[in-house]
Amino acid sequence: MTRTIQGRGIVRGTAAGPALVCREPISFLGDLDITTGTIIGRLPSAAGQSVKGTVLIFPLTMGSAGAWRFLFQLYKHGTHPVALVTREPPDPSVVQGAILANIPMVCEPQEDVIATIVNGTPVEVDGGSGVIRLGA
Amino acid sequence: MQLSDDDKAMLDGSQGEARRLAMDGLVQLGRAFGAEDMVSIGYAHIHAGMAMYLHDVELMEELAARGATMAVPASVNIANADTVNWQQTGAPEKLARLQQRAASAQNKMGASCSFTCTPYWAGHWPTWNTHMTSIESTVTVFCNSVLGAKSNRDGFFAVYAGITGRYPRFGYHLDTNRVGTHRVRVETTPTTVSDFSCLGFHVGRLVGEGVPVFEGFTRRPTLDELDALGAALATSGGVALFIVPGVTPPYASVEQAFAGKIPRESITAAPRDIATVYDEFCSAKDGHFDLVHLGCPHASLEEMKSYAGLLAGKRIADGVELWVTTSRAVRNEALAAGLVATLEAAGAKIISDTCPISCHFARSASPDPKLGVVPPPLRAIVVESAKQAKYVRDMIRCDTLLTGTAEAVETALTGRFVPRRPA
Repeated sequence: MTRTIQGRGIVRGTAAGPALVCREPISFLGDLDITTGTIIGRLPSAAGQSVKGTVLIFPLTMGSAGAWRFLFQLYKHGTHPVALVTREPPDPSVVQGAILANIPMVCEPQEDVIATIVNGTPVEVDGGSGVIRLGA
Repeated sequence: MQLSDDDKAMLDGSQGEARRLAMDGLVQLGRAFGAEDMVSIGYAHIHAGMAMYLHDVELMEELAARGATMAVPASVNIANADTVNWQQTGAPEKLARLQQRAASAQNKMGASCSFTCTPYWAGHWPTWNTHMTSIESTVTVFCNSVLGAKSNRDGFFAVYAGITGRYPRFGYHLDTNRVGTHRVRVETTPTTVSDFSCLGFHVGRLVGEGVPVFEGFTRRPTLDELDALGAALATSGGVALFIVPGVTPPYASVEQAFAGKIPRESITAAPRDIATVYDEFCSAKDGHFDLVHLGCPHASLEEMKSYAGLLAGKRIADGVELWVTTSRAVRNEALAAGLVATLEAAGAKIISDTCPISCHFARSASPDPKLGVVPPPLRAIVVESAKQAKYVRDMIRCDTLLTGTAEAVETALTGRFVPRRPA
């Protein structure tokens, strides 16, 4: 049983992995441990979990214009999420990091993915067409 | 998105692999932000290739190896080690050698390897209406707000813009976004660069990514004060542009700054707001400190003169470490002017290419373990900049003691922390 949600494709490429839903905004500088991908920031809904290999679903990014560098560092350490889905419009720095690290990204999906997607659900993201496919 | 014939030629690879890669990234960025076309830029302040981050210097080397060159004048942002005097900072030699490789790559690509967060003091001075790009938010806010150039707060893609000479037209490249959002009534009289830094930190927190319009300065702020104000606005908030009517081109009046619109919000900056920022960043309650730092953002020659004036003929207390950070270009000017000799005679170390938060002190970085980087166990750093203070807290993860420049020098001379004395 699969279904699809349409969003805005931001960074092209396709990737699949289990969903990790974080309800709070994420700051790539500080909220994640680069060497493990573990969420170390004060993000109650996802603290202690690893973003490595997941489709990371979150509302928006906060903070530094240096976010791109930390996303790229996750990639260089092999601890990066395989795809990004954000509820809000994209952040230029994160988009640049995602392009550099070949991480597909979709923004502004047409349904509230943070409320409806459960952690661990298999998700496939197509950053070109903006299609998010649930339950592979 | 409307692309020129030249843009298309870059995109299809007929101008080489580096330009194809760069243009492909810029087009994706432009589509993400609804840009209608690309603008030609006149200047780029680009990523250094940072030795404290895994494979980051290699990223620049790979671009250079792919034949990337700068299509426009380009300066290079701050790096992770003093590439000449690293021993003075206690950095591992392997880290400094890796940082030197980034300099070689930059030279190959034709960028001016300035390794500084204040390239304008090193002679990179874009003028009114010049579209540009910058990886350093301090440079973005200075060039937008003091010089009237047009820049977004950028990330790595400042490099891609430098390679192509193009950037998607969105954000602060559109005049419709260069309009005030918040009216700021300055009800205090900041008298030092540190006061302006605290003022910026206070206002940045309130306006976020807005465009604050300042009213009520009793005199025209100096270039150093505007630099400190902008750096702090860009640190506590996401400010890319502030407007001081009569100073920021082309805004002659408050009405013009708001383009006839009603400001979203009016806020004030009172003496207690400035004092609050100083207090917040005086977290080392026992007054112990390991280092006194001057020069955030990297000092101008005027600031070097002021430090030399405060330290001339004196000697810092035994056991105190005093760092003055400035670009290599300004360091060379200061050397010729005899200022370096004065500062070193007083016991100060003049550090270039880096600063406390950018060097091997940072715990938020992720260097290759082979470099042997071990951040020293620092307890507190005395600073005169709210920007440095925030990142000492977040990146070095130690306490701070924020004070004025003269008081910081007095701290170094006496070995005892001197809090800021309000004017």
